[in-house]
Amino acid sequence: MKGTKGIVIVAFTVWATALVGAKLPAAGNPPAPQGGDKRFDQAAVERGQKMFVAQCGFCHGSKATGGQSGPDLIRSVLVMGDEDGKQLGEFLKVGRPDKGMPKFDLSQEQARDIATFLHQRIAAVIERGDYKILNILVGDAKAGEAFFNGAGKCNTCHSPTGDLQGIGAKYDPVDLQGRIVMPRGRGGRRRGAAGAQALRSLPTVTVTLPSGQSFTGLLLRVTDFDVMLRDDSGTLRSFTRDGETPKVEVKDPLQAHVDMLSKWKDSDIHNMTAYLVTLK
Amino acid sequence: MKIKKYLFASILALLFAPSALFAQGPLDPSLLLKPATDAWPSYHGDYSGRHYSTLKQINASNVKGLTLAWIHRVNLNPDGAITGGEGPESALTAGGGMEFGGPQIKAIPLMVNGVLYFAMPDHAYAVDARTGRQIWHYAWKTRGGIHIGNRGMGMYGDYLYFETPDNYVVSLDARTGKERWHKLIADVKQEYFSTPAPLVIGNHVIIGMGGDSLDVPGWLESRDPETGEIQWKWYTTPRKGEPGFETWPDEYSAAHGGGMPWQPPTYDPELNLLYVPTGNPNPVLAGQSRNGDNLWTASIVALNPDTGKMVWWFQCSPHDTHDWDATQVPVLIDGQIDGRPRKLLAQANRTGFFFLLDRTNGKNILTKPFIESLNWYKGIDEKGQPIRDPEKDPQIAGALVSPTTDGATNWPAPSFNPDTGLFYVGTSQSYSLFYLTDTDPRPQGWGAAERGVGGLGNYLRAIDYKTGKVVWKHSTLIGAQGLLSTAGGLLFGSDGAGNFVAYDPLTGKPLWHAGLTANPSNAPQTYMLDGRQYVVVGAGDSLFAFMLQR
Repeated sequence: MKGTKGIVIVAFTVWATALVGAKLPAAGNPPAPQGGDKRFDQAAVERGQKMFVAQCGFCHGSKATGGQSGPDLIRSVLVMGDEDGKQLGEFLKVGRPDKGMPKFDLSQEQARDIATFLHQRIAAVIERGDYKILNILVGDAKAGEAFFNGAGKCNTCHSPTGDLQGIGAKYDPVDLQGRIVMPRGRGGRRRGAAGAQALRSLPTVTVTLPSGQSFTGLLLRVTDFDVMLRDDSGTLRSFTRDGETPKVEVKDPLQAHVDMLSKWKDSDIHNMTAYLVTLK
Repeated sequence: MKIKKYLFASILALLFAPSALFAQGPLDPSLLLKPATDAWPSYHGDYSGRHYSTLKQINASNVKGLTLAWIHRVNLNPDGAITGGEGPESALTAGGGMEFGGPQIKAIPLMVNGVLYFAMPDHAYAVDARTGRQIWHYAWKTRGGIHIGNRGMGMYGDYLYFETPDNYVVSLDARTGKERWHKLIADVKQEYFSTPAPLVIGNHVIIGMGGDSLDVPGWLESRDPETGEIQWKWYTTPRKGEPGFETWPDEYSAAHGGGMPWQPPTYDPELNLLYVPTGNPNPVLAGQSRNGDNLWTASIVALNPDTGKMVWWFQCSPHDTHDWDATQVPVLIDGQIDGRPRKLLAQANRTGFFFLLDRTNGKNILTKPFIESLNWYKGIDEKGQPIRDPEKDPQIAGALVSPTTDGATNWPAPSFNPDTGLFYVGTSQSYSLFYLTDTDPRPQGWGAAERGVGGLGNYLRAIDYKTGKVVWKHSTLIGAQGLLSTAGGLLFGSDGAGNFVAYDPLTGKPLWHAGLTANPSNAPQTYMLDGRQYVVVGAGDSLFAFMLQR
């Protein structure tokens, strides 16, 4: 729900990628920071985790998601409402003897460390943009190669010794798989990473005036009312549209990838990824 | 000369000083029962959710002469505002949906007795509907929460109601903007956040909330418009012993099953039924701990607004695993099927299916895909519900699915025009790879990752409600979008490139447009004042009002 409920993340400058429905980056999904969530004192998280696993893990599970007899603490209203170990510390002094939860004699600092670990665990659930994708290399590289040269017709445009040489070393498997399906927009890259190659994958447009004069360039925007391009010299040109005048012809260099979207079998995607990672 | 200048300046200051202005009178409750005419008294304009107005001063023959009446840019500066809230003073500098691409007016303003009322996260406003001048500004000191948007206000007599990102419902005096009371709905520390516009029915203020980051329960509640006290609560998942409980593995999973009702509902006064679309189940994308259909998540339910008791339900995506809540507008149509007059309910659902139901009993009449790229279902069951293809659940190695979690459409209001019999909706045909990341038997939160991989284009579509067939589609740069149709033979919407457009509702041909400073951020509304029809739309941080030049 979050990040999608505000769905109309409207970029007033509409880039050509929007033409094929590529989405703008979902808000609030930055790449995972190295070394954990900076909002938490990492040393306290580690101390808290150690203590938690040793003293609480048997009942609540080592990940605090519930165990043999104790509830899931990621979903605990008490833990969610805790501020810096204050409420949790008070609770641990008493426990819940009627439900078999003993009391724990912890110092304020120890309670704070355990609370910091639990809050960090909850934050890790909340921050869906940071979820780590697991090992996706389940495909058959041979079958992928056969698809590349056969049914997929990938070899019509691509070559393992040409444009795809070393691609398995260039991208991690998740990015590579995204790029197999759609080599622009969010598919391959989480964000950024433009450059000449990215530009080459964007649609171009030719605008022909009634006089016969025509202009070709990178398509920046096309609506019912106007069309805008950037030509090779870097000049930005815009034209008013009135029905079929001027003539507007859009060419998408990735049309084959767009056409494939409704044809892919997931197993073919997985096999292709398994194959392309071998091109190192 | 100097004195004259001074006098002139003083008069101007008096005219425009917010403190010198007052809003102009209570809402006559009978207006809520009529189709939208001179006023726009609720989020949907009337209880039906059609986003259709009977006004036709602005029409297909003169729309070319539609021109700007005024622009109102919202004031987010708390200086001079009436303030309230439980958060620290420092919170007053935040708000307005800044964290999601800048301030956006996702409200549809009410227009009652010459005054527009609307809200943004942590802010509420009254604006003169003739001139676009601010009358009062209320700013809320937030305790936090996701500031993604606010759908606006509900009104009862002289009282206004709006919700905050930290889950309070606030009641203001419409005349002055002064707070009457605020009441806590849900705990922000559990990642609830509240965006809906409250709906007023009789002496009930109907309130929903959102938030699915953690696996918490969802409910709809009714409050007393005078006191703010709770009248009833209806949980969106069943408790032990209730019907529907069998669609969950156990009490625990049902109680943590989400289903947030965050779209303002619709209402049939004759049947006295409230139509509530509910949110997605939790955990969201990893379904392994909640085998079963997971009622009443991703459903349309009919409740008695006096008691909160459920009368019927229809589930749009049983055991949803793609964040496809059903919180799109349930549009009430009084139509004809096979030559017989019927009380109908239509919804263009986030899954990409158009549903037509009998709103007296919830029985399905029609289920039809409205986009071409749908690839996640195996068929339609005997109840008219799509049967999901488990192979298209998020997979460790990735499953290619259309639509994405953003859906084939989403929360922005569609429109139904009884003159054309067409249901208008903004649609997207995007694809994503869905990766299961949480393989634990008890996953948490979202449980999977999504990577967008392009799509087959966005279209404004017109659907024949009787057949579910797409009669026309027009390419746009935006998918889901807010729409308004009128008896003047016009459909107002956006092309997604910053243009506010009037389309021919029979063909989708653009008849008029105006380039705004941002894309319209929800549906337009329209009203009549002093014999002149205005069309108002929120776009980014501004309201734009249009009228015909004389």
